[in-house]
Formats: sequence, C-alpha cells, structure tokens
Amino acid sequence: MIEHGPLLERLLEGEFICTVTDEHSFHKLQNEALVEEFNHFLRPLNRRVAKSEDSSVYFLAYCDLNQNARHHLSGQFASTVQSLLPMLEWMQLVQEALGRDGALSAGDTIKLQDFESKVVDNQSLMQRLAHLAADKVFKSSSDKADMQIKQVFKRIKELGYLHQPHKDRLFYIVTGKIEHLIELVRFIKDEENLPIDDVPEQEAMF
Amino acid sequence: MNQASKSNNTLQSNPLFELGKERLELIGKHADALMQGYLQGHVDEAAFTVQALDKLINGRILWRPDEQQPLALRPNVNDLIASLTQDERKRQINSDVGEHLDQIHTRVQSLQAARQKGDYAATEHHMQLLTERVYDMTGQFGDAIESLWHRLNTEFGFVSSLDDKILEIELAQRQLRRILDGFSIINFDDLIQLAGSDGALRKLLVSQLQARISEHSGSLLEVQKRLVLLMARFRHQQDRALLINRMSAFLRQHPNFQVGDYPNRSQVPAVVNQAHGIKAQAFVALDRAQDGYALAELARAVPREPEQGSQSETQTEGFAVAVQSLVATEQKQLAKDVEDFFIRVIESPEPLSGVDYLAEQELTWDPEIWLFQVVAEYEGLPQQSKQSFMLEKERTPKSRFNQLYIIKDVKVGMRFFGDFQAVG
Repeated sequence: MIEHGPLLERLLEGEFICTVTDEHSFHKLQNEALVEEFNHFLRPLNRRVAKSEDSSVYFLAYCDLNQNARHHLSGQFASTVQSLLPMLEWMQLVQEALGRDGALSAGDTIKLQDFESKVVDNQSLMQRLAHLAADKVFKSSSDKADMQIKQVFKRIKELGYLHQPHKDRLFYIVTGKIEHLIELVRFIKDEENLPIDDVPEQEAMF
Repeated sequence: MNQASKSNNTLQSNPLFELGKERLELIGKHADALMQGYLQGHVDEAAFTVQALDKLINGRILWRPDEQQPLALRPNVNDLIASLTQDERKRQINSDVGEHLDQIHTRVQSLQAARQKGDYAATEHHMQLLTERVYDMTGQFGDAIESLWHRLNTEFGFVSSLDDKILEIELAQRQLRRILDGFSIINFDDLIQLAGSDGALRKLLVSQLQARISEHSGSLLEVQKRLVLLMARFRHQQDRALLINRMSAFLRQHPNFQVGDYPNRSQVPAVVNQAHGIKAQAFVALDRAQDGYALAELARAVPREPEQGSQSETQTEGFAVAVQSLVATEQKQLAKDVEDFFIRVIESPEPLSGVDYLAEQELTWDPEIWLFQVVAEYEGLPQQSKQSFMLEKERTPKSRFNQLYIIKDVKVGMRFFGDFQAVG
C-alpha cells in the first residue's frame, strides 16, 4: 500500500483521476483487487473509490451518507448546479468556435490561440464570451477578449474540467471529469422530467 | 516482335481506335474548363470556342440535360472524374448484379454457338468480351468497396456536419446491403452448369469469380462492422451535443428552475455522491528519537536570510556594523522621503522645486544628498513611468575653464499635464 500513498492522497484531496490527468494511476484504479484494498483503507475516513458510469474517471465518494456527508454534498451540489449553465455555454462556445462536430469530450485538445482567433473574428461569439466571462463563476472584469478567455480557462482548469500539460503553454486537454458532468446533466433531465426531449418534435411541427 | 507490331497495326486500323484517341485528347485539351464544370455542376460556355463546344458535344463529353439548362458534363464523364479523384461526394456505387449476370449468360451462349459453328475468330472475340464482362463486374464491386473504405477511413470528412455524416453512413449502409444482396443472386451452380466441361470457362466463371466474391464479402462485412461502430460514435456525439444545447436552452429560459435536493434524499443518487477533499497535514515532531537526525538535516538545509549572517558579524565587529546598519536605515528614510516628494509632484498642478520642497517639509537632509537622491530616483524609474515625469536641472557652471556644472536645484513635474487634465 505504501507505494500507492501519493495516489491515495490525491484522491483524498478530491482529485478526479482519468487518462488525461494521470494515465498510469488511472490504469491502477482499473484493477478491482487494488480498489478493494483502497476501499478497506478508506473505510474509516468514510470514503470509497467511485467512478463515472462510463468508467472514464475515478474519484472518492462517501460510504455512509451521514449528516456530515450530506452537509458537504449539499454545498458541493449547489456549486455544481450554479456552474452548470456557464459550463454548458462554455462547451457550446468552444464547439462552435472551433467548428467541431460533436460536443467536447474527454481527450479533446484546445489551443487557446486557435480559440481566441476564431472568437475575435466573430461578433456574436465575442458577445457570448463577454457574457460568459462576466458570470459569477468566472468573474472576469476585463473587457478584452484575450483576458476573458484566459480567465475562463483558468477557472475551468481549477474546477478540474481541463488539464494543462505545460504550465507555460496555453494548450488544454478536456479531462474525464466532463463526462461526469454530462452524466449529471442527463440525470437531472431524466429525474426532473424536463421537457427538453420534445424540442425536435416541436420544431418539426413548424 | 514482328507479330506484335502486326497486331498493333490491326488494332490501329480499327476505326474505334482513332475516334477514341481523338476524344480522350479532347478531354485533355479542355481539362481546365471541364474540371471547373465538374466542380460547379455546369460548364461556362464562354470558356470555349463554338467549334470546341461542338466537338465536345458531339464527342459525348458535354450535354444539355434540358433545353433550359446550361451545358454540363455527361454523367459518365462525371463518374470518371469522381472515380479518378476519389471524390466521395459524387462517386457512384453501382451494385447492379443482375444486369451483369444476364450479359454473362448471353455472352456464353454466343460463345458456344460460335464454337459449334467452328468459327474460331468469333469464339475468340466472344471469349474476350466475356472475360472483360466478368472483370468489369468484380472490378465494379472492388471499386464500390474501395469507395466505402475510403469514406470510412476519412470518417466521412467530405461532409461537414454531424447530421450529414449520419445520413451518409445510412446511405453507405444501404449501398452495402445492396451489394451483399447482389452477391446472393450469383448462383454458382448455374455458372458451373453454364461453363460445362470447358476448362477456361470454368476457371473464369467459377473458381476465379468465387475467389473474388468471397474476398469482397469478407471486406464488406468488415466495412459493415466499422460503419456500425462509427455510427454509434456519431450518434453518441450527436446525442451529447443535443443534450448540452437543450439543457442550456432550458436553463436560460427558466432562470428560477430549482433542481431537486438530491443530497438529502433517502436514496442519494450515485452521480452526486462525491466526497469533499481533505488535506492531510503533518508537522515537525520531536517525540521520536530516531527522527532527530533527519530533522536536524532539514533544519540545516533551511536557507538563511543574509541579514542573519550580518547579525553574527555584529557580535564580532560591534561598532562598525552598527554604523553600517544605521546608514542603511537612514538610506531607507531618504528613499522614502524622495518617494513622498514624487507623490506630491503627481498631485501638484505645477512642477515642484526639490530644494523648496526640502525646506517646506523641514527635512533635515543635506540639499546635495537630497538632490542626488531625487535625480537617482528619477533615473531609476521604469522607462514607462519615467516618460510621465519631466525633470529639469537648474545648474550653473563651476568655472569658465571646464565643463563642470553644479546642480543647484531640480524641478520635477508631470509631462503632458494638459493632456492628463483633459482626460480627467
């Protein structure tokens, strides 16, 4: 177990482990016997190794949902929900600016320079960026597009959805945590019976 | 050699030879304009002379699909270019097997009739056409499969949107289905009967054809598998993009939307169960003797501030160093006073005199040291800040015989003051 100390510590600190952030550790966590050992160790701390539904990211969850755990979960959930719309809008913005087919997913790379040059070229993208950057999740007070972009990406990196392989290079990779976010979105949609599946039928009617 | 040139001569005497060559050359001669026509869907008539247009139309290269329509490339020419350039937008997949089989049947019957008559030349001729027909058929499938692979490997990059890609995959799946259906029409029992005891026919119609078809089937099945996978991936992406778009549209339209209190439900959904981060901190502890050495090492390795070093000198050298540190303190005070002076300059509407300021503030600095420090501070400013200030030295020559000047006073003011005011 000693050799896994650093990995356990990172998990305990609340890190999400995926192939983008740490491929080696990710493969370790695919080993069920080892996870079993981890869980044994984590039990007194009321934690266990959990993964997203599509197994693309590992993190710690509570074993016992006692009062204390629920208290923490509430706070965390509230902040995730608060950042939900800005995150979704950011994903749309990146997808549109870079002319990608599908939505962003883990492993996609984003060069800030490319993104910036596309956004600056397009008035409507500029406006959306400004609107997004001013959101309380990103809190950018700058009115310059490059500063807004830097701030937004910095914050998303802090939230764990982006990985920056080189500190001094403005080049990011989307992490597996984004899959977890999408799962949450899908869950909310199903759980709250949001009428958003009907949209195409409505469109077809017109 | 003799024989070869002779057969060349007979080929060249065939009237088709000259005509075909002339038309191929015609295509080459107008390659630019024809390619433009290929890409635009119609040709620009102004790009040709009247004679050239006539030749191209008579040569069955261009045609007018409808009286109202502009001239365009004939479908066969379009196909030819699409196939040569692997242009998947326009490449046709021809999977009609029945037509080929009918032709093969007819050809074999003519061949056998000619053979019964003992017409050797006609037999040769029919055999050649039959061979071509069989190769045309398998070649056509080969082309179709190659086109499918090509589209697959480029992930349908010839269309841009995800929706179009999904439509293209559906089309490819239908084409593939038709080719496979075509294969099932080929009845090898029939072909064996048709070939009879003729070894050459058997080889052509049965063993070779069978080998080619089974190879193609294998390839097609692989394409089919890959198409399904690619489709699943595209659908997944599409699904995701839709989810994101619709959810964000919904949240925008319903700013007061309240999500359920999942963390406090009796059954907490797994997707929100995510433990908060804890930092395991540890501190130096001296209650274990065996750690002593390691901790001492660490303590020694802690970098010391240079000031601490000078303290030990204080003990040994006493007086001299005490003066030094006094000087250092004074120097700091001087620098601070000069800084205050500059701040006053910024606030003041007019340039200020250094000497006046000194008197006004009742500072005890020697004027010479004071002025020196003001000039030094000004010179030490970063280039950008320096440009905002204007420093004027009031100086008098020391003597007439050399270039030595004494600075009596300096006046410091803001540069472009009027501009600043205008902006403010």
